[in-house]
Amino acid sequence: MQKIMDIVRERRVIIDGGMGSLLQSCGLRAGELPEIWNLTHRDVMLKIHTDYLDAGCDIVTANTFGANPFKYPASAADGEEYTLESVVTAALDISREAVQKKGHGFVAMDIGPTGRLLQPMGDLEFETCVDAYKQVIALAKDRADLILIETMSDMYELKAAVLAAKEASDLPVLATVAFDASGKLLTGGTPESVVALLEGLKVDALGLNCGLGPADMAPFAKRLLDCASVPVIVQPNAGLPRVEAGVTRYDLGAGEYAEQMKEILSMGAAFVGGCCGTTPEHIRALKEIADKTAGDYPRVREAAGSRRSATLVSGFADAVEIGDDPVIIGERINPTGKKRFQQALREGDMEYILGVGLSEQEQGAQILDVNVGLPEIDETDMMVRVVKELQGVTELPLQIDTSDPKALSAAMRIYNGKPLINSVNGKKEVMEAVFPLVKKYGGVVVCLTLDENGIPETAAGRFDIAARIIAEAARYGIQKKDLIVDTLCMTISSEEKGAVTTLKAMERVRKELGVRTVLGVSNISFGLPARDIVNGIFFALALERGLSAGIINPGSADMMRAFHAFRALKALDAHCATYIETYQSYQAPAAAGGGVQGPAPRKDKTAPEEGEAQGDASALSHAIKKGLKDQAQAAAADALKTNDALSVINDEMMPALDDVGRGFEQGSLFLPQLIMSAEAARAAFDVIRAQMDAAGGGTKKGKVVIATVRGDIHDIGKNIVKVLLENYNFDVIDLGKDVAPETVAETVLRENARLVGLSALMTTTVPAMEETIILLRKKAPDVKVMVGGAVMTKEYAKQIGADHYAKDAMGAVSYAEHILTGSDVPA
Amino acid sequence: MNAADVNRREIVRYLGGKWEAADEQMLALIEDVLAEMFSRVTPKHVFHTWPLSLQEVREDADNAQSAGVHKEEKPLVDMTCMQVRSGDLAKNLSGCTEVLLFAATLGEGADFLVRRYEKTNMSRAAVCQAAGAAMIEAYCDEINDAWRESYAAKGKRLRPRFSCGYGDFPLSYQKQFADVLQMEKRLGIRLTEGLLMVPTKSVTAVIGIGEA
Repeated sequence: MQKIMDIVRERRVIIDGGMGSLLQSCGLRAGELPEIWNLTHRDVMLKIHTDYLDAGCDIVTANTFGANPFKYPASAADGEEYTLESVVTAALDISREAVQKKGHGFVAMDIGPTGRLLQPMGDLEFETCVDAYKQVIALAKDRADLILIETMSDMYELKAAVLAAKEASDLPVLATVAFDASGKLLTGGTPESVVALLEGLKVDALGLNCGLGPADMAPFAKRLLDCASVPVIVQPNAGLPRVEAGVTRYDLGAGEYAEQMKEILSMGAAFVGGCCGTTPEHIRALKEIADKTAGDYPRVREAAGSRRSATLVSGFADAVEIGDDPVIIGERINPTGKKRFQQALREGDMEYILGVGLSEQEQGAQILDVNVGLPEIDETDMMVRVVKELQGVTELPLQIDTSDPKALSAAMRIYNGKPLINSVNGKKEVMEAVFPLVKKYGGVVVCLTLDENGIPETAAGRFDIAARIIAEAARYGIQKKDLIVDTLCMTISSEEKGAVTTLKAMERVRKELGVRTVLGVSNISFGLPARDIVNGIFFALALERGLSAGIINPGSADMMRAFHAFRALKALDAHCATYIETYQSYQAPAAAGGGVQGPAPRKDKTAPEEGEAQGDASALSHAIKKGLKDQAQAAAADALKTNDALSVINDEMMPALDDVGRGFEQGSLFLPQLIMSAEAARAAFDVIRAQMDAAGGGTKKGKVVIATVRGDIHDIGKNIVKVLLENYNFDVIDLGKDVAPETVAETVLRENARLVGLSALMTTTVPAMEETIILLRKKAPDVKVMVGGAVMTKEYAKQIGADHYAKDAMGAVSYAEHILTGSDVPA
Repeated sequence: MNAADVNRREIVRYLGGKWEAADEQMLALIEDVLAEMFSRVTPKHVFHTWPLSLQEVREDADNAQSAGVHKEEKPLVDMTCMQVRSGDLAKNLSGCTEVLLFAATLGEGADFLVRRYEKTNMSRAAVCQAAGAAMIEAYCDEINDAWRESYAAKGKRLRPRFSCGYGDFPLSYQKQFADVLQMEKRLGIRLTEGLLMVPTKSVTAVIGIGEA
């Protein structure tokens, strides 16, 4: 029999229409699991499939949309009637029977969302999700002809499903997503980023379904068709739903539906079918129109895909094109030569690392390079951790920068989108390690023009290596659009013709090989004074000669000026809007004598107020009360010149913090101010601690273990408590959210902590809190337990056996002071 | 919903302060956060109405002998799409013949900002959290007001919204809400194992419809 992916090269393939909506009209009740009907209503299911085949569809979709291990048990041990395997195999067998009966057609295993949300939005771990999908997809073997993943609304879950399908079967994989009326997925994904992700993962076809009728779907179908190299699937609803007497109906009849599908057919869609509200009648009408226009198919498919060769990378939301409009790749997430960053890596200080990335974003980076290699840390673990954390707080695509194939592989697997990869080069061994990963997970790869013999001195030598890398990539099925070539900047301080050679090679690569280019720009000035001057000018030269992306420090004013001015001059910045927004309050640096120019004055939000005394007794107290970090630090250093550390803490800092705490309790100060004051105090503490440590004294006040209990994923309250406790100089061990009782008990024992803080937001998770307390009483009877959270009350806390109810973050601090330093009993 | 519709006093209250004590700086921070939140949120809702049948609860229900419903047994609220035993819900819906069930959400954008600032600027995260809570309330008020008006034109009166988790209306009914309103497919709202809604700035509720 001819394969489905061969057929679609010759003609349009028709997929069936709605299933759930038909089952409802056959009596499926709201809330009833539709897949159970595969066992209880076999005849109804068979008739739906044969009706669709009679209507002329090529693919019948088995009734397995909601079948996953979260909804159906693996075994029927506990008196459960239906197992995952029984509902899925029954569904596929019914579909197969229909196909055999009618003598034509293919069986698709249908895969929908799990119903759960992945971390960091929800509580489902990525690999758990992949495994869940694998369990279902493994059942398709010998029963299905293809896997249809559909109605996906979260990019990360979509990736999990496609990976599972690729790993658990050899069948063709088709995947579609459901956009809302604005053309976005739940998490902000767009048609372009969907294409980037799915083509990277090598699906056989991709598209969209559900949510909208054909007319509303058309513009988004167009955007998919513009970018996609693989066939595109379009399965709209029968218009918009409306409710009549408790029954959901859709507003497009079969004729109107098929009429509206004409436009989508003419755009070049290859697989067409229906979704909610469509019936065999809709599919029959669609098939008729598709047949009538069958002769157009090769032409319209060829005409689609105007952006098919665009180089796209993506994060969880939108895609970024590396094209004629140049792109800034931020280079600051990198420990090389940065002591503070190295320290953050060693201490696992995510806040610092994320802070670096987010400030690059604010400065204008469009992609973030991520390099966390340091000899004394496990790079794979750290890379995965940093990538996970970053993609939770920024929508920017990431550039995974490592020479360790293990770290690269692990990071590419859990990356939410299509990453940039830094890098491959002309060395055989490196290409053999990196290209298989790109083939599997997708990505755009930076290709360095060096090989076993080093970096060629001539432009021709570098050009040749680029050509070789492109040819080798093709053997893995990696297209030119997924490669960007770096012709390597060599500093002009030692290599006089460094810039000339780099630019010449880059220009040739761009023009003759037709690939996009990238440069680590600032290397060009290594060893020179006033490097920014050279960097800025060189960046402008490179952009003019076809540089597509610069890996730079977006905090460098000179390079960003070159970038923004270039875009404005080249008509890439409509109405110079970005340029104007960036520089409207720009002040030209005042001319300085002798040609030496100091840095431009920076607007510092935390600068001391006018006329403020520095170093007087109240400066520290004032800075803490006002929440001014830098000032608190400076004031603490000053205070230490005349006073010893303890008296600075006791006479200045503590009274100030107490004042702030009192103000918060009385409602005259607000949570943000309380937090800012606490952060200022921490900054001051750091200064004092450094001195105390140097003098061999000074320790924290004691350990507090804090956690949000099992089942609860709201943890902002706990996080605020953490910040406050730390800033009041407690040693806080934060176990995070959704923490098992055993983990809390083990940590208390291991750390020998005397105080535990537990938080729960929902009534449903209070039992988990009680369970944790019971376990703690058994394992660590001496530990004190304070509890808090939205549902907690003093009475409730007592009832579940807690020692203390903290009504807010300040309450938690007071109790910790009482238990660990022996201060007065709080109210 | 516009930024103007959001109750600043509520935000200040969530932040633990008195309205009179909020200085210019605090109010400016709140405005700044609101502007950022509005650039990220995607408010959406779905609703559906069903016939209601209510087991009578007598005023003297405390007296087990004379009550129509046994004291220990809670009255049955049959909303066609789900059946609940809840005294508090029955009281709220007393005199109604229909119910309107709805779900509303600000979308994932609100959670994203809280998550981002928790890592980098905790004080701003706290304000985002408070602003998000006030925004979803404002959004629910806006859609509820529109229904109130349109039902008033038909001579009907709407009761205040009532969510599961209030009083003795168990939170476990969140699952039924999710099913009957197709919350996942139509709004992207999903439930965690602990029945929390994600995105977290989401609301589900029942509104009773009775004669004016």
